[in-house]
Amino acid sequence: MVAERLAEIVGPAHVLSRQSELLVYNSDGLPGYRRQPRLAVFPGTRDEAIAVVRFLAAERLPFVPRGAGTGLSGGALADDIVVVGLHRLKKIISLDIENRRATVEPGVVNLRLNKHVAPHGLLYAPDPSSEAACTIGGNVAENAGGPHCLKYGVTLNHVLAMTVVLPSGEIVELGSKVGERDGYDLRGAFIGSEGCFGLALEITVKLTPKPQAVRTLLADFTSVDKAAHVTSAIIASGIVPAALEFMDGATIRVVEDSIYAAGYPRDAEAILLIELDGLEAGVVADQETVRRICLDGGARQVRVARDDAERMKLWQGRKKAFGAMGRLAPHLIVQDAVIPRTKLPEILATIHAISEKYSVMVCNVFHAGDGNLHPNIAYSADDPAESERVHKAMVEIMQACIAAGGSITGEHGVGLDKLGYMESIFSETSLNAMCELRGVFDPERRSNPGKVVPVHACKEWHGIPGSAKSRGAREASPLEAEPSRPIAR
Amino acid sequence: MSTERVAAAIRDSVAASRPLRISGRGMWLDAGRPVRADATLSLKDDSGVVSYVPGDLTLTVRAGTPLAEIADVTSERDQWLPLDPYGSPDGSIGATLATASAGPLASSFGLARDLVLGVEFVNGSGETIRGGGKVVKNVAGFDLSRLLTGSWGTLGVITEATLRLYARPAVDRTFVIDLGGPEKHVTSIVRAIVTSPLAPYALLLLSASAARSIGVGESPACLIRFGGNEAVVRAQVGALSQLSRPEELETKIWLAVRQLDGNSHSTIRISSLPQRVVAHAARMLHEDIPFIRTSIDPRRGILRIAVDSDGEVDQRELPADLRVTGENGGGASEVIFEKLPPEVWAQVSPSVVADGLSRGIRTAYDPHNVLNPGILGD
Repeated sequence: MVAERLAEIVGPAHVLSRQSELLVYNSDGLPGYRRQPRLAVFPGTRDEAIAVVRFLAAERLPFVPRGAGTGLSGGALADDIVVVGLHRLKKIISLDIENRRATVEPGVVNLRLNKHVAPHGLLYAPDPSSEAACTIGGNVAENAGGPHCLKYGVTLNHVLAMTVVLPSGEIVELGSKVGERDGYDLRGAFIGSEGCFGLALEITVKLTPKPQAVRTLLADFTSVDKAAHVTSAIIASGIVPAALEFMDGATIRVVEDSIYAAGYPRDAEAILLIELDGLEAGVVADQETVRRICLDGGARQVRVARDDAERMKLWQGRKKAFGAMGRLAPHLIVQDAVIPRTKLPEILATIHAISEKYSVMVCNVFHAGDGNLHPNIAYSADDPAESERVHKAMVEIMQACIAAGGSITGEHGVGLDKLGYMESIFSETSLNAMCELRGVFDPERRSNPGKVVPVHACKEWHGIPGSAKSRGAREASPLEAEPSRPIAR
Repeated sequence: MSTERVAAAIRDSVAASRPLRISGRGMWLDAGRPVRADATLSLKDDSGVVSYVPGDLTLTVRAGTPLAEIADVTSERDQWLPLDPYGSPDGSIGATLATASAGPLASSFGLARDLVLGVEFVNGSGETIRGGGKVVKNVAGFDLSRLLTGSWGTLGVITEATLRLYARPAVDRTFVIDLGGPEKHVTSIVRAIVTSPLAPYALLLLSASAARSIGVGESPACLIRFGGNEAVVRAQVGALSQLSRPEELETKIWLAVRQLDGNSHSTIRISSLPQRVVAHAARMLHEDIPFIRTSIDPRRGILRIAVDSDGEVDQRELPADLRVTGENGGGASEVIFEKLPPEVWAQVSPSVVADGLSRGIRTAYDPHNVLNPGILGD
């Protein structure tokens, strides 16, 4: 029995096979999707993780790697297959303060790494809003971003090297801990592969010196349109804020009603949360420029956080906004489209029109600085009629973003949620090239099967029906995901 | 030239079993291992801007577009692509990305991989593929842009690229510091700069021969470039003056820096932990060998050595030079050979793509082995 064999590797306490115990693992941060795993295994050491992967390889069993399960794409769901949870691998293996790098296990929580390096005047820059729970391994799998990646870049720009166990059980080193390397950028290919290329067991990240000065500004507006134009104006000015975040009136009020109340003006129709950092002298000058742009663009007022406590409070409201949405309805659907930044005013107007058309309340809270939208709708997945309207509205919003020259996901990943859109932005040959790349890392497609690239887009999967190859592949992939709908099962 | 013509050329080469040497504008063809091909596919005529929306700070260009043209087009809108690889600015963006080339600005603005948002390329079967997109943040699908960047044309011929631009700074000033003093003194200056809050756009240390070749004096030197608003540059220049005696240079010195390789027959890059490089920097800089030009980016941890063709350097001296940085081969540094005499490659660095994954990817993307065969090794 698979469960017993896995228990021999990790200990019986770390294998779950009862359906009731596995309920916790049947969704990620996007609760509209549910898939029940067959069983879940939680290795506690690197060697155990390798042994688990090798066992699954020997048995040709498909599996889904999982970090903290905070993802927002349905990417960590396992449909009647094995979940390999990595949250117990949480050692910070080494810290090199002089050279500003750290090597960690995949289960290390993002914020914990930051707290660990903070006393040395360093930080780990990618800061997804789920930083208090999400893991570095999950960040690598999703190429996670966050508000501050506007200036500092996403996970891809901060990972130097990884030790990876491929789905076959083979161990490979990607990138280099000590320097730059030539040859193919396999590290770049692996980051953002959404668990389809294997498991990173050791991750070396770059650390960033804490900026000398930080200023957080809150500008509030009486219309969404004004705030959108100001966003474009700040970007066009050439100033690269550390973060430039947008929240609309609906979001502001939900946050202010919640325990995360940040003191945002409740009567505003939009706010921009703008952070500037760097050397003191430069920040002071930029602050004045940004303040002027905001006021010229119709901001009612621009408030500057007086101290760290106020700064943290302003950020708390932003980072917990999705959580606060729980006040509105039991389920939340969040989109992650990216549009060219000059199209922001136009797209926000379109989103508003779509929300009226389908009588749904779209809240907008997003990374305006890089055009990464997060329109979200709180709804009840148990109400089929509402779910239908929500689904239609979201599809239409996505289509508008694609038509504007954007991308379907900026930081959440494709997972299950955006699978159906892949063919809208990539040609058949491009999708097939992605399938081929995956095939090199995981020839049997056992790692996170059915995610990212639609199965039917892969050339060799069109192989002769009933041939050994297509049969093998089919067995390996019980989760033949077609574009799923955000409806609870 | 268009993507379709590139695809047709590749399909023809497959049909005729005639591998292709892939060339951008033909400026850097002496880099990399010898290519086993007797026909050349040049992207020189496939040039120009496809789309440029300054407000988005993104630019889409055809692969054969010269870097100099990109600089011209973007500077009209007070923007730039902060990518300054060594070699002629007439080199193409396609070749820059394919070879993952970067220069002194990389320690602030990132490497080629950090500035490319999307690519269109034609694989070894003649299929046109797109990876990434045209927006500044994108995780849709597996990352083919990163895969193609630095693949030296062996996985596909890049035909178009979308790049991230930055606004040109209001103020952009460059200074030189004389590093002719005793080694200990030099080490302490370099360490002071690197560990200070100073955030220069570029910081480059030059050996005396390198300094001489670009006309900034007879002794080792440190070039330092500050950009940003007036206040931040002024503050940094002030702080630098506390540490040393900087003299201002014209910004165009960086164009000369890009020519540091001159007509070198070998160019080698050693990449290591920044502090290790800092520790060895003074000693490396003070070895004044006329035909060896050494430059060091201490923040990026890069030591770059260009050896002239007219210098009669015994090949065995090269590894000796590398050993000065110590521990090479013990996993403490990476050595990247950019350029070597053709006959030397086989013994020094036969391949950087011999591992299973790299071979697998190569076979998947160029199954007939017609794209730049041999340039990264087998």
